[in-house]
Amino acid sequence: MYKKKEYRETDKMFDLISGNYSMMLVMSRFGIEPGFDEKTIGEVCRQNKADCRTFLTVVNFLIQKRDTPVENINDCISLEHLIVYLHNAHNYFLKFRLPHLRRKLTEAIKDDCPEDVAFAITKFFDEYVCEVDKHMMYEEKTVFPYVRDLLKGKKNPKYNISIFHKRHDQIELKITELKYLLLKYYPGKGGNWFNSALFDIFSTERDLATHNQIENNLFTPAILELEKQI
Amino acid sequence: MNINLKIAIAEISGIIRSGVEVQLRKLTGFHFQIIEIDSSERLYEAVRLNKPDILIINPAMAGGHTLHQLREETGNLSMKCMALLYTLTDKNQLRYYDEQITIYDTLDGLKQKLEQFILQETEDDKEDDEQQILSVREKEIVVCVVKGMTNREIADLLYLSTHTIITHRRNIARKLQIHSASGLTVYAIVNKLVELSDIGKL
Repeated sequence: MYKKKEYRETDKMFDLISGNYSMMLVMSRFGIEPGFDEKTIGEVCRQNKADCRTFLTVVNFLIQKRDTPVENINDCISLEHLIVYLHNAHNYFLKFRLPHLRRKLTEAIKDDCPEDVAFAITKFFDEYVCEVDKHMMYEEKTVFPYVRDLLKGKKNPKYNISIFHKRHDQIELKITELKYLLLKYYPGKGGNWFNSALFDIFSTERDLATHNQIENNLFTPAILELEKQI
Repeated sequence: MNINLKIAIAEISGIIRSGVEVQLRKLTGFHFQIIEIDSSERLYEAVRLNKPDILIINPAMAGGHTLHQLREETGNLSMKCMALLYTLTDKNQLRYYDEQITIYDTLDGLKQKLEQFILQETEDDKEDDEQQILSVREKEIVVCVVKGMTNREIADLLYLSTHTIITHRRNIARKLQIHSASGLTVYAIVNKLVELSDIGKL
C-alpha cells in the first residue's frame, strides 16, 4: 500500500502546508500563524507555543487518512493540547463555518427557488446547526471538564469515556442528507452561488467527518489509557 | 459503487498482517477500513471499540475464548469471522468460523469469499435499487410524517399497525436516503406532496 510521507519536526512547515492545504485548518487551531519563511515544523511550533508532538500526530493522522485508533497514543499526544485543538475546532464550526455556509446557502436559493422550498431548506439547515451545537456543547460541558479533572488525578466515579464513545454519533450524516436533497431534488436553476454553497457543503461534510475521526481515534483512546492509569 | 467494509486483522506477525492488508487493498470494488490487532490481549477491546464487519483471525489468537463469547461480550453479534491459516490446523477448531482463508489464497479466491458475505446482506438492498420511487402508501406516510404525526397516529389514521408504519418508514429512508423529518419536508414540498400551509407546526 502506498503510504503518504510521514512529517517530522525537521521538515519545513511550508512543505507540509503547500502540499496539504487542508492542514491550514489544523495549523490555526494550534494557534500557529502563517508567514513561516523557511522554518521547520519544530521551530514554527516553538515560536507559536504549539505542542509539536501533538501537532504532528494530528497532521500525520489526517494526511495518511488513517481511520483506526493510534497505538500507544499517550506517547504521541498531550491531552491538554488536544483539548485546546478540539475546542478551537468547535468554535470554528459553530462561529464561522456553519454561519458562513448559511449565508451562502440563503444567497444561493433566494432568487430562483420557490419560496416554500427555500423555507424548508433553511429550516432543515437551522435544525442541523442546532444538532451540531448540541453535539459539540456536550463535549465542551461534559467531556472536556471530565478529562481536565482526570488529568489532575481526579476521577468522577459517575462518568467514563465509553459513555461518550457510545453516544458519539456521526455528526456529518445530516449534512450528507442536505447534499443529497440539493443534488436530487433542487427545483431551481442553480448557478454560481448554488455551486459555491454546494462545494462548501462537500468540504464541511469532510471536515466534520475528520473531526469525528480525531475524536474517536486519538482523543477517546488517549482517555481510555488515562482512565486505566488512575 | 464501492462497498464499505470494516475489517479487523488479528494476527501476531506484522509481516503477515501487512501482507493481508496489501492483498485486500488490491481488490477493486471495495473500500476497506482496516484495523490491526497484534495481540490476543487487545482482541476484545479492539473488537468492542471498532465493531468490524469481518474479523480475520489467526485461530491461535482466539486462545481459549470461543468466537461466540467474543461476539457476545463485545456486542458485535453480526460480525463474520474468517480463520487465517498458514499451518495445518485441526478441523474441529475451525468449525465455528464462517469462512477460512489461507496465505496461499489467490486474489480472486479472496474476493469471492468476501463477496459471498456481502451477498447475504445486500440481497434486500438490490431489490430496492430497482424501484426507488415511493409507492402510493409510502407517499401517504411521508405526508403524515411531515405533518408531525407520530407512528401511532399514522397507524390509527391508515388502519395499519405501528410495526407496519415503522417498516414503511425504514423503506422510505432507504429509498430516498433521507432519514430526518425535516429532510422529508424538503422532499415533500419539492414533489408537491404537501404545501407549507398544511404543516401546522411551521
